[in-house]
Amino acid sequence: MIKHCIFGKQHWKKSLILSAILATLTLSGCVDEGSDGANGIDGIQGANGADGENATIDQSMVTSSGFAFPGDAIFVQPFAVDGDDITDELVLALFEIPAGSTVVLPQGNFTVSETIAIAAADNFTLTGYGINETTLDFTNATGDDGFRFEGGINISIRDFSVLEANKNGIKVVSANGVYIAYTGTVWNGPLEADNGAYGLYPLQSQNILIEHNYAYGSADAGVYVGQSNNIVIRNNVAKNNVAGIEIENSTMADVYDNVAIGNTGGILAFDLPGLTQAYGGNIRIFNNEIIANNAENVGSGAVGIVPPGTGMLIFSVSDVEIYNNTFTDNETSSIEIASYFLANDDVAAYPTTYGATMTDGWSPLTKNINIHGNSISRSGADPRGALVTEIVAGYTLMLGQTMPAILYGGVGESLSNAGVIAGFNALVGADALADGVNYDPYLAKDLVCASGNIDNNSAASSLEFPEVNIGVVYTADPTTPALAFDTVQGNSHLLNCTQPRLAPAVVTFRGKKYGCLGDDIATLACAL
Amino acid sequence: MTMIQTRKYQKSHNLILAGITALLLTACGGSDESTDQVEMPPVETTPPVNLINANAGGPDENKGDCDATTEGVNWNALMTETCRNLSDYNLFQDSMNPTENPSNGGVAFNLAVPLFTDYASKYRFIFIPEGKKINYSQNEVLDFPVGTVLVKTFAMPADTANRDGEELIIETRLLIHRENGWVARPYYWSDVTDAKIAITGKTIADMTTTHKGEVKTFSYSVPKASACTSCHSVVPLSQGADDIRQPIFKPIGPKARNLNIEHVYHDSTANQLQYLADNQVLIGLPTDFSTIDKVDIFNDDLDITTLPHEQVMDTARAYLDINCAHCHRSELTIPEANYAGPAGGSGLQLEYNRDYAENPQRFGVCKVAVAGGHADYPADVIPGSSDKSYLLFRMSTNEQRHRMPELGRSTVHAEGVNLVKYWIDNLTRADCS
Repeated sequence: MIKHCIFGKQHWKKSLILSAILATLTLSGCVDEGSDGANGIDGIQGANGADGENATIDQSMVTSSGFAFPGDAIFVQPFAVDGDDITDELVLALFEIPAGSTVVLPQGNFTVSETIAIAAADNFTLTGYGINETTLDFTNATGDDGFRFEGGINISIRDFSVLEANKNGIKVVSANGVYIAYTGTVWNGPLEADNGAYGLYPLQSQNILIEHNYAYGSADAGVYVGQSNNIVIRNNVAKNNVAGIEIENSTMADVYDNVAIGNTGGILAFDLPGLTQAYGGNIRIFNNEIIANNAENVGSGAVGIVPPGTGMLIFSVSDVEIYNNTFTDNETSSIEIASYFLANDDVAAYPTTYGATMTDGWSPLTKNINIHGNSISRSGADPRGALVTEIVAGYTLMLGQTMPAILYGGVGESLSNAGVIAGFNALVGADALADGVNYDPYLAKDLVCASGNIDNNSAASSLEFPEVNIGVVYTADPTTPALAFDTVQGNSHLLNCTQPRLAPAVVTFRGKKYGCLGDDIATLACAL
Repeated sequence: MTMIQTRKYQKSHNLILAGITALLLTACGGSDESTDQVEMPPVETTPPVNLINANAGGPDENKGDCDATTEGVNWNALMTETCRNLSDYNLFQDSMNPTENPSNGGVAFNLAVPLFTDYASKYRFIFIPEGKKINYSQNEVLDFPVGTVLVKTFAMPADTANRDGEELIIETRLLIHRENGWVARPYYWSDVTDAKIAITGKTIADMTTTHKGEVKTFSYSVPKASACTSCHSVVPLSQGADDIRQPIFKPIGPKARNLNIEHVYHDSTANQLQYLADNQVLIGLPTDFSTIDKVDIFNDDLDITTLPHEQVMDTARAYLDINCAHCHRSELTIPEANYAGPAGGSGLQLEYNRDYAENPQRFGVCKVAVAGGHADYPADVIPGSSDKSYLLFRMSTNEQRHRMPELGRSTVHAEGVNLVKYWIDNLTRADCS
């Protein structure tokens, strides 16, 4: 604040004509100049603030989600009217923003013409007036991301929406403490390939709490967390994206109480090869509503493989617990578990293609997947997708079955059990080896298990969906698909095992703990 | 060579004091044009000889004042103030001309392979306060002392074939090394008299230049100050839930390998690193130059088809380094442990000093894009198939969604694309399916 005052008083004094600049600097906390600033904006909170001429203790100081602006909040262009471009004032307000600041976006619908980059923010809050009350349209912006935070500690992003960003909506890289709430990222209209990539996009970060957000229309993932640790994603709605919610190369993640509807794939957990954080794990996905994720896949890159009609896809990642979710109307399969061999079956080429990342611990295998207590209905009405074409044909045409609601590829396990890929052990680095990464035959602790899942088809829908099955494509023989199946409810000979429960994720943000060992300790979802 | 230069410097000490610097510079070249100086009486002592920042002054403990009148550089203002006018810092002898004649303390330099910025010409200067030294670094940006100012002016030539001819001076960017780290301050030349601070950047919708006979018209973006961090900061690679390190702001270009070229100083020509060392502002420079990486000069007039294969492959790596690796790096070219460029997390890491053979996937080989991607380009780099490589597509397009680099480029750098295309097509073939 002091810096801004100096900045404002001493060296901008010639710039009176730049009223916009002065206005923002005044708002930045130059109390001594603010009472009658050059353009007449009063007080550190603007005219509508508690010390402004129109001071009221009214809704103008509280977001629609109930967040009250602090007394020293910086208001960006508070008198902007719908359609105004607020880029310059926003940039000025954010420039070298002091620690502990709160910046308030105006109420209404505005445009932004450039990526807004914010580096090394410290206990910083960026807020609008609400997810519907403040919208920022990036349709004609330059740059790829809407907002991009680089570094930062305890950043709060809340109560506004980003529309039509060129690529990602809100990206946060390398931060510790990321709170994104009551925020929307939206690409309107039909889901098309040139919609944006990620909506909410924390990357390589720690302590991430994402709640009460709305992600719509992404050509990649609506909510994506990558190469990060200690993550809680709860109470969000992800609709009409290619991937609704995606956890990638991340550890200690709890995903619960979300709604994933109308996406290509509802909720995804991936480990992709070649990244700095080579692999993830300890991911719990529970008590989510996963409904009609049947959008055609317009995505490319890694997400392009997701078959339309996928409720959940667990891909090349280990140590995942999936429980008490409700799956409805997912037309290919409700839960798909696959090793990376499903996407690239050139097993012999793995040491060449992925050797370095395998040394770092990335593995094509998927181990210790514990699926229990999920409720599944009307699954597999129209199975499709390039990744599973042959599997679909096998189950539906050859065997005349409904596509399995829980589908496990199994080829990685059978390759391991047959000793075919034991040679990969030589690639695994010491750290990863110590962390349990190996290509040995599967032990009990490595198995994919399903227990206590519920066939929730009604009497009427069971006419159309006579079987609610578990399917395992490859069992003992890694060269010939077995296309085995068993019932989801009361399975006796496929995946009939259980695994130990995984530890809850804990997010520490501004000194408070969030998640099932924090603020949600007494909630229903966390008791499951 | 070094010995000879030292001896000549010593002999010419009186001349320096007399301010006849041009003559001295002639002597530095080791030519026989310095006969005048031989007649000067030899100096008994060996005082430091320094054409760069002797008597240049430097910041003191006092707070700066943009309105102060200073004989040379207004160091204190640089250290503490964001001045409205570029001229307030008094960096150039002619405040209307930031392309030459820096105030005492400044020295011009060039990079062997520069960042592409829409075919703009760039005029670069390092300002070092009196008595301060730069520490040599083999792979990272040279370790510049507090007080250093890196100044880069961007000008659009009327015709890129004649960069000494008519040009429009657009912007001057300062990187200032203050006590608490580097800061960036962009200045925009709205008219020819002075440049003004441009915190919010500037878009020039109708920039034109003629390049190889073709008139190019495009929208030129002067980045806003906060955008500087997009390229200039490195971010912590988190080491756990309690890791609260913040990004570090750094210069990009002046690395030894990129400075290891000849430069014309007034009437002499010298290797840039040697020149800085000879003037005693660079310390730690290896005496054996063969231990210093050297990047070959790349410019738009080079016909890569006439160059040796190995040189083109190496230059392509240098091009990717300077144009991409400020973001696409991880743990290399960063002295601090466990830091990465802001896009290191994409898995694409293109540092010049990264060993390609150790892990080609770091260079994008057969690597699927993490975010977004494009259906027609299945991997970042498909050796032998530049036409299917997403990296090359991103260099070749102006679509906001896909173009790379994100900032500073509104036109496609045809020559750079051609160079990287050659590199991809000549990597050992791989089938990425």
